[in-house]
Amino acid sequence: MADVFIPGSLEEAVDFLADHPTTAMPIAGGTDLLVDARTGRSRPERLVDLSGLRGIEGFELDGELLRVGALTRIRSIELDAELGRRATALVEAARVLGSVQIRTMATVGGNLCHGTPSAEMPPSLLVHDAVAEITGKGGQYSVPLAAFFVAPGRTVLAPGDLLTSVRARVPSSAAGSCYLRQTVRWSMDLAGVGVAASVHVEGGAVSNARVALCAVAPVPMVVTGAENAVMGTSLAPDALAEAGRRAAEACSPISDARGTAEYRRQVVSVLVPRALRIAWLRATGSWPEGSPAPVNGVWTRE
Amino acid sequence: MRVALEINGDDYARDVEPDLTLLSFLRDVLGLTGTKWGCLTGDCGACTVLVDGKPVVSCLQLACQAQGREVTTVEGLETPGGLDEVQAAFVSNGATQCGFCTPGMVMSVEALLRTNPSPNEAEIREALAGNLCRCTGYSKIVDAVLQAAAERRSAVGSPAADVS
Repeated sequence: MADVFIPGSLEEAVDFLADHPTTAMPIAGGTDLLVDARTGRSRPERLVDLSGLRGIEGFELDGELLRVGALTRIRSIELDAELGRRATALVEAARVLGSVQIRTMATVGGNLCHGTPSAEMPPSLLVHDAVAEITGKGGQYSVPLAAFFVAPGRTVLAPGDLLTSVRARVPSSAAGSCYLRQTVRWSMDLAGVGVAASVHVEGGAVSNARVALCAVAPVPMVVTGAENAVMGTSLAPDALAEAGRRAAEACSPISDARGTAEYRRQVVSVLVPRALRIAWLRATGSWPEGSPAPVNGVWTRE
Repeated sequence: MRVALEINGDDYARDVEPDLTLLSFLRDVLGLTGTKWGCLTGDCGACTVLVDGKPVVSCLQLACQAQGREVTTVEGLETPGGLDEVQAAFVSNGATQCGFCTPGMVMSVEALLRTNPSPNEAEIREALAGNLCRCTGYSKIVDAVLQAAAERRSAVGSPAADVS
């Protein structure tokens, strides 16, 4: 049986976690931690309940800066119309995570800190150059989200460190993004492959591009090679195919119940071009506003 | 640990193990067994209840995390006149078989209709994606939700509808 400590402040939570480095774990939504505890994957002796802490819940858009508090519920991302326009990939990733119940409980911070290779939030934050903001015993510091994940289930966080928020750059115009994933089931499933893409379009060409993947490597990853393949182009088929090829080469999937490594690479090579294309259509105003990307990114109309 | 919260409009306070789940609090401590004990991993939705009006799986929430909140379980839906519209529609549409998933289904539907009084079939299926039924399939459940939504809309009524 685990004891539960309910801190009155962030500082109290940090102090308690630092004082009990091997036995205490923070809990927020509980949708990963309590499953792990129940299935024996982790045996926390002390839980530090963050769910009542004030000040790190919710998100705000200030110009091009998006800051998402670690305790922000996935469901509140999913339902926000402004985020749907400005950070479409993030909202699309939120929409496919678990069930309504899970999204109501689960937090953005928990999704990142649990370190699951197939976690839904990281790719869509990585394509917006996200930075993790952390409070620890020694004060506050920041880590690029691309360097936050160390191994499956492991992040850079030391005992006593708490992720408090994530900041990201969300362009206000001529930009678009998209998140696509392959799953065995449409709902209540983890990604077999997850792909986020964002593009910024100037003068009819891509002036900035980001591609990030999940579930195809030990940690979520940015694919710079795929980005370079489309920079300066207007996403002609050969540029898109090259981006897909480079992403498939760069990743290192495993074979498991959700697909073989070979199949996953193939899916990456298909979904990366589709996600880039939809991001482009959104950036150029050619995609119906508020319309989600179709399942697996297959569409018939432009 | 002392846990005090409101359930179906009544205040409850009990001393419980700190890591007790809300599900166990409802069923084992208070005897409210309408909420079902299913997978315990958040997959089946049989333990769905509303916390501050929002649907959660009570197997993955600690009772202490619901401190001071308003919880609604299936026992709280019944009205003085009998079953509420959603419960009644599940009965009249034969949207139950063994019935084990039904309380969780009904709670998810309650949450849906509070925010979306006119859901279409796709929205209903999305809202119920986290509630598994292993008996009937889902067609009759979707029919029941469509009917419950229509009945609730007409019961609430709009001024224009009242005039006509």
